[in-house]
Amino acid sequence: MLREEELKTFVDGTTRYFEVAAQQPASIGSPYLLEGEPAMHDYTGMISVSGKREGVVYFTAPRAMLTVLLMKMQESDFSHESMRDLVGEVANTISGNARRDFGHDFVISVPSVFAGEKPQISQPTGARAFVIPIHWRSHSAKLVVSLT
Amino acid sequence: MLLSGVDRNRRLLTAAAGIVLAAVMGLVLIAGFRLATQIRANVGTLQQASELEAYPSAISEQLTALRQRLDTLEYTGHVHGELASSVRGFNRDFTALEHQKGIDPTAMRAAVALWTNYTPVLAKVLSYHGEPYSDTATNSSLSRSGRVFYAHVRRAELFAQANAAALHRELAVVSASLQARTAAAASRLRWLLSGGVLAVLLLGLAAAYLQVARGRGERAARDAQDQTRDILATVREGFFLLDADYRIGAVWSQALTTMFGRGDFAGLTFEELLRDKVPTETLNTAMKFIKLLWGERAHENLMKSINPLGQLEVTMDNGRGGKETRYLQFDFHRVMGPKGVKHVLCAVGDITSSVMLTRELHEAQENAHSQIDMMVGMLHSDPLQLGSFLDSASAGLKHVNAILKEPARTHAEFSKKLSGLARELHSMKGEAAALNLMSIAQRVHHLEDMLAELKARSELTGNDFLPLVLKLDELLAHLRGVREMTLKLSSLREQPSPADGTLSTPALRVPTAGPEELASTLQSLAHKLAEDHGKDFKLALSGLAQCPPAYLGMLKDCLIQMLRNAAVHGIEANEVRRAGAKSGGGQVRVDFRRVESGYELTFEDDGAGLSPEALKEAAVRKKLLSEEQAAQLDNRAALALIFKPGFSTRNEVSMDAGRGAGMDVVAKAVYGLGGRIGVSTNPGRYTRFKIALPALGETAVA
Repeated sequence: MLREEELKTFVDGTTRYFEVAAQQPASIGSPYLLEGEPAMHDYTGMISVSGKREGVVYFTAPRAMLTVLLMKMQESDFSHESMRDLVGEVANTISGNARRDFGHDFVISVPSVFAGEKPQISQPTGARAFVIPIHWRSHSAKLVVSLT
Repeated sequence: MLLSGVDRNRRLLTAAAGIVLAAVMGLVLIAGFRLATQIRANVGTLQQASELEAYPSAISEQLTALRQRLDTLEYTGHVHGELASSVRGFNRDFTALEHQKGIDPTAMRAAVALWTNYTPVLAKVLSYHGEPYSDTATNSSLSRSGRVFYAHVRRAELFAQANAAALHRELAVVSASLQARTAAAASRLRWLLSGGVLAVLLLGLAAAYLQVARGRGERAARDAQDQTRDILATVREGFFLLDADYRIGAVWSQALTTMFGRGDFAGLTFEELLRDKVPTETLNTAMKFIKLLWGERAHENLMKSINPLGQLEVTMDNGRGGKETRYLQFDFHRVMGPKGVKHVLCAVGDITSSVMLTRELHEAQENAHSQIDMMVGMLHSDPLQLGSFLDSASAGLKHVNAILKEPARTHAEFSKKLSGLARELHSMKGEAAALNLMSIAQRVHHLEDMLAELKARSELTGNDFLPLVLKLDELLAHLRGVREMTLKLSSLREQPSPADGTLSTPALRVPTAGPEELASTLQSLAHKLAEDHGKDFKLALSGLAQCPPAYLGMLKDCLIQMLRNAAVHGIEANEVRRAGAKSGGGQVRVDFRRVESGYELTFEDDGAGLSPEALKEAAVRKKLLSEEQAAQLDNRAALALIFKPGFSTRNEVSMDAGRGAGMDVVAKAVYGLGGRIGVSTNPGRYTRFKIALPALGETAVA
């Protein structure tokens, strides 16, 4: 079973990104368990985890949110590639936070990025996915943690 | 390094021997010096005495030479002068000898006596100063004074010839006695010098022994230091000494460096060691405990039993820029000195793996126990009731998740979720307890505890809900396990069980229960409640068969809650009932009937009834009402308080009461179906609930 401190590590990694990159912290909404198909926004950055835990962790955000985030970061390029890079960076920050807290217990993959298309997410059997809404300004994204 | 007692004594003894030998050497040197001085004096005296021995014969010869010169009328002045010189010399030396110590007194006295006799005889010779000859033209002859002088010389010559040998002999005896004394002194000096040489040799040996012992001691000390260093570098526990200022000493074991991620321990206070690693409150408690250790009257074993640092949770840097939680065990031992506690020895062990293992073991044991409890509960339950419960529990948790899923950003939005979650969970717990599925009931109870704790917070965020959603996941997994086991049991009973889905995972479905199963569930719940709360009551059920299937679920939820309320709050303990002149056991009556407007459920217990005043007091206590508001309530409004969310007359929460979610759940369920609920009571006599439900297809006004 996933432990609270492990879940917090992923959540903190996500909110920290907003704090560092946009100097404006993100807050988290009411967490819940995922039912049915995962609800994806426009862009998704995902890392796969193996070792002590098996599964995936992904951050999925709408285009509008990423655009505002890029603006806050003084970026002028709002292209498709920029959006992809941005969710990739968030996933990378989540990954760094996990490496820092869990060390060698977790083997974490390089982030993969999906945009528009439905990603191939292979959830581990027996693992339920936790959905943590990430609120930033008036926008909402989701962090999904599905680990055994 | 610590010297053993034997070594110390040996070194002390050797040092004492050295001091004694040095003292002896000093004495030998002083005595030798004195003896040497004495010998030197004796040798001088002996020389004098030896020289004196020659005088008697010389005087005698000189007298003879003087007389012969007088006989031949030769010049006598020269010989007379020599004689005078000899006598003066003898007198001087003899007088000097007379005062020397250690001379044979008899011989000396005899020599003195003899010389005393010499003196007048010689004096007459020596006192002559005239011309002994008278000269004429033809010859010379003795003058008149010369003849007298000649007579004195002749007498003196004869006296000297007669006594010279005796005087020489006596002087020889004196010399011999002096020689003997000198020889004795020389012999003593020899012995003394031999003793001195021996003492020097012994002193040398003692010094050599001390040097060897010291060298050996230093080698042993170096070895011991090396061994201590090796031990401190290798041992896996952290060791250090604390002084009276709670500062760490200069020596500590290497393991501390790994444990605390630093190497500057010398002089560090215990407080500085733990600051930022443990909460302030824990640190304060730890410091109070350390101070107690320095008390003279503190009993070490007793102190050990109250050690607050037996399993200390500390937050450490994990070396990758992050933090990690570790568990350290501190043991304290007092090092006593002559003036009381000298140091406190601290032994620190990293027991993180052990704590984790214990925790996992505990969890595994708990799981095993809950599985057994679950199995026992399931074996005692009717499969139909169980299936019904699992269906409603799955639906309930789905609803719980739906409540969680509703977007929330503010405290008010988060807080609103709590009441809804509490109602759902409370119903589920009641049902689980009724079926004796305690592992489920306890898990739900734990979730309710978490909700209660969140409710008390002044500020709520999504972070506060993370533990809740994890517990919900755990409960779902547990329910899934129960469902799988139920299916296996069903297949054992050869009852086919089709599969169905719940929430997001494929789940297994078991048949739903009917009125008969409901009656059985209620009876077993009543039995369990009576046992748990030490109450004696009977449950009489009638008309349940008339309940349409659509109302059966709601009826079950309501009856479970009301039955729990009746058992906890309504039915009195036996002694109270006897004191109130009531019949032995209590009665709880449930009647369901078809009425003109639909259906009517009556639930009645012959217990303590409801006291409007007690209800108002409880509402004030639970801060649902102010005292002024409570005072304004009439009896009817006071009775309605029981349907308020969060209301309970209980101060403590138990598995069956105290949450204040019981009648709230009932009322919500009834209102949800378009029904009405009413309560009447006679304090000390009964409490009666009447629930009116609309006929199916109709909707009553609530």
